[in-house]
Amino acid sequence: MNQREIIDFHEGWKFMQNGITKLKSILEGAAETHFTSEEHIMLYTTIYNMCTQKPPHDYSQQLYDKYKESFHEYITSSVLPSLKERHDEFMLRELVRRWQNHQVMARWLSRFFFYLDRYFISRRSLPPLMEVGLTCFRELVYQEVKVKVRDAVISLIDREREGEQIDRALLKNVLDIFVEIGNGLMDFYEKDFEDAMLKDTGAYYSRKASNWIVDDSCPDYMLKAENCLRREKERVSHYLHSSSETKLLEKVQHELLFVYATQLLEKEQSGCHALLMDEKVEDLSRMYRLFSKISGGLEPVSNTFKQHVTAEGSALVKQAEDAVSQKKTDKKDVVGVQEQVFVRKVIDLHDKFMAYVNNCFLNHTLFHKALKDAFEVFCNKGVAGSSNAELLATFCDNILKKGGSEKLSDEAIEETLEKVVKLLAYIGDKDLFAEFYRKKLARRLLFNKSANDDHERSILTKLKQQCGGQFTSKMEGMVTDLTLARENQTHFEEYLNNNPTANPGIDLTVTVLTTGFWPSYKSFDLNLPVEMVKCIEVFKEFYETKTKHRKLTWIYSFGTCNVNGKFESKTIELVVTTHQAAALLLFNTSNRLSYQEIMAQLNLSDEDVVRLLHSLSCAKYKILNKEPSTKVISPNDVFEFNGKFTDKMRHIKIHLPPGDEKKKVIEDVDKDRRYAIDASIIRIMKSRKVLGYQQLVSECVEQLSRMFKPDVKAIKKRIEDLITRDYLERDKDNANLFKYLA
Amino acid sequence: MNKLGRGQRDKLQQFMLITGASEKVAFQALKASDWQFEGAFDLFYSHPQLRSVADTRHIEELYNRYKDPYVDMIMADGISLLCNDIQVDPQDIVMLVVSWHMKAATMCEFSKKEFIGGLQAMGIDSLDKFRERIPFLRSELRDEQKFREIYDFAFGWAKEKGQKSLALDTAIGMWQLLFAEKHWPLVDHWCEFLQARHNKVISRDTWSQLLEFARTVDPALSNYDPDGAWPYLIDEFVEYLNETSIIQKGKLSEWNYKS
Repeated sequence: MNQREIIDFHEGWKFMQNGITKLKSILEGAAETHFTSEEHIMLYTTIYNMCTQKPPHDYSQQLYDKYKESFHEYITSSVLPSLKERHDEFMLRELVRRWQNHQVMARWLSRFFFYLDRYFISRRSLPPLMEVGLTCFRELVYQEVKVKVRDAVISLIDREREGEQIDRALLKNVLDIFVEIGNGLMDFYEKDFEDAMLKDTGAYYSRKASNWIVDDSCPDYMLKAENCLRREKERVSHYLHSSSETKLLEKVQHELLFVYATQLLEKEQSGCHALLMDEKVEDLSRMYRLFSKISGGLEPVSNTFKQHVTAEGSALVKQAEDAVSQKKTDKKDVVGVQEQVFVRKVIDLHDKFMAYVNNCFLNHTLFHKALKDAFEVFCNKGVAGSSNAELLATFCDNILKKGGSEKLSDEAIEETLEKVVKLLAYIGDKDLFAEFYRKKLARRLLFNKSANDDHERSILTKLKQQCGGQFTSKMEGMVTDLTLARENQTHFEEYLNNNPTANPGIDLTVTVLTTGFWPSYKSFDLNLPVEMVKCIEVFKEFYETKTKHRKLTWIYSFGTCNVNGKFESKTIELVVTTHQAAALLLFNTSNRLSYQEIMAQLNLSDEDVVRLLHSLSCAKYKILNKEPSTKVISPNDVFEFNGKFTDKMRHIKIHLPPGDEKKKVIEDVDKDRRYAIDASIIRIMKSRKVLGYQQLVSECVEQLSRMFKPDVKAIKKRIEDLITRDYLERDKDNANLFKYLA
Repeated sequence: MNKLGRGQRDKLQQFMLITGASEKVAFQALKASDWQFEGAFDLFYSHPQLRSVADTRHIEELYNRYKDPYVDMIMADGISLLCNDIQVDPQDIVMLVVSWHMKAATMCEFSKKEFIGGLQAMGIDSLDKFRERIPFLRSELRDEQKFREIYDFAFGWAKEKGQKSLALDTAIGMWQLLFAEKHWPLVDHWCEFLQARHNKVISRDTWSQLLEFARTVDPALSNYDPDGAWPYLIDEFVEYLNETSIIQKGKLSEWNYKS
């Protein structure tokens, strides 16, 4: 067994020193470029032996120290001086070179001294060899030059920002040093570079922005801002560390957008308002993209949007009002063409701005809400005395009735109905709409004026989806009633066939309506002509055979009669309402009748008689002659059968315009609202037992908001009424508290 | 008892005379309230057991004096006579206090039960005692709590039998009467307002809340909460005051202020 020879420290170190010298010359660029395996092994073994020798010849500690010293010596003698004599970009290059060299050196030396890493360092809890090397470089080189390096890098960045081409790879390498020098921690990168870089960036963009904001229009500014942000992002991917991205972009956004947000948006000719006016869709999209990035950035934009929409909507309202007042027809209660045009325009406006919300503003909730709020403002203003609820109902009626919009394709109609229902969402008084709609639906159904059953059903479905089943239940009932009525009529005709004596001698069709579904109608005790009286009785008898315990109330105002008018030249069939027929038949017994006589015989109100006589004597077809032949019916007029009347048609319809429905509708709705408020209050108090006034009111408003916006005063009155009716009482100690009385 | 001073003995006598209490009871009441009359009266009347059983026979005699010949009740004539006897104007508000003690159901009539019960409650069994009691009864109106009770009572008492609400004229009359005792500067404006704008009956809720309003809201309306649960009639009243510039910028126009 060969005893290993003890290596003396100085001998051993001298050997190592040679190796290190060779290493250095390799680094400095000498001809030799590498170590042979043999050399490598020798160096390694020398260390190994010196460490494994028995004490006092185990030189681990000394070798460790020498290892460290090697770096020190090399750095101080070669590295630092070479760095110090260079500046700017040259210095950066030199640094990179020296760093790369250092890494090579550390790698090789650690290989040679590897044995120390295996046992010595852990036994003594010392940093491993690579780390030692790194620390040396950091303490001696990095700390010395970091400030200069940083400044050089930053100035290069600024030059690139100004448009110069710079060596990106170099910067990447330099910044990698900042990262790697931390050995896993980003602290050095952040404190020694990033902080200063961000600060410089901030100052840079602050200067730029202060110039741009003065010189540039809003769209131009935004374009520049967008470009800057894009370029900074690219910068990160080219040479900055990825962790800088968020902070960098935030900094830029802050200086370019946040600081100048208000000024930018409010620029006179080119700010948000102007862009909306000029419909600059692309610029608005850019605005959205940019401002969504800064906190609170979108609120002012959405507010301007809301104001713009409200203004446009209100302008439409004013336009319609002006047009109406200019036309000055005497039929002030009938919703005219201008109002219909208005509804159409509102629909178009909605489409236009919804497109903005979808496209420019990417469906952001803030903008949906802005649109909603804006529409709610002007959609509840009404035009020339007619509420929007009425206008919408009339609009629907025009689409759905015969002679309304037959020129539109089915698809177009469906689409329009869809949009109308959407508009309904903005209207507070939905119950008012329902009532107007119901009234007009009744006319369409009873006078057979409905253009297309499918459309009728389709809109009911849409309304149900939007407003709930309760909203449409009555209307659906109305439609069903008609189907049942037709069946009923068939049975009636069978009955007449089976009982010939019962036959009244006139063709009679009766439509039986369920009271709850249909709007309430005043029923008049019209004095029927004798011929018709029998009809009524026959039907009553028939009906009794079908169902007992039901009361029939006759609404003659909705009846239609076909009457043969035997005029001198020819007989013409006149299609008239029952009221008109009753009036005409009076002339079978007397040729001349005064207004008063007619009224007395018919037993109708002044209002109805005037309308009725007007339609027969002052309108398109003059069946009756009027003395004096003015265009207005007065109580002193006298009427005569006009035997000389003729027309080229054999069959004419004499139109009787409906009376003033508006007032009645509003009355009915108010009444229903009172009940609805009562029910709501009772419901709330029943479940809560005790509740404060403010809360009661706000819960009530919320419960009812689906159908209408209740007036707080109205709620207060109902509460007091309920107190008087002993449903509620005030608390004895707190007048603001209410208790439910079981 | 012998330790009583002269003044105290006088007070004792007076107390017994007024309340009809026994010496023992009178002494207890006075002692407990430190020989102050006001306190002693209060104590006495709030403890029914202290009251002596005022001679029921005497009270029944009184009842018979006033009762209507045809009905077993005291009606308008009887009340007139009573007022004469006790030297009080029938319109005097103290009659309201009397009715309150009697828990009378309706004005201008007392049932037998009400009359007898009321007199017992007041510790009266003779016309002399009645007359002596009048100042005390009047003083009860100045007690905050009692005034409220009397005020609330007045509604049910003044309205017609079988009606839920009070006719406007009657209500106005009552308010004039009541707020003469407990001064409220806005009472005349309130009555004007009702006649001009409301012209309908007054509900119980409005009646009772008005007192709250008079008590808590200052006449210049500076602490009036428009979002509060005041009855809507009161809200309208405030609007009326603002509209007609009676209240300008939170100040009651000086010449309208009644102290």
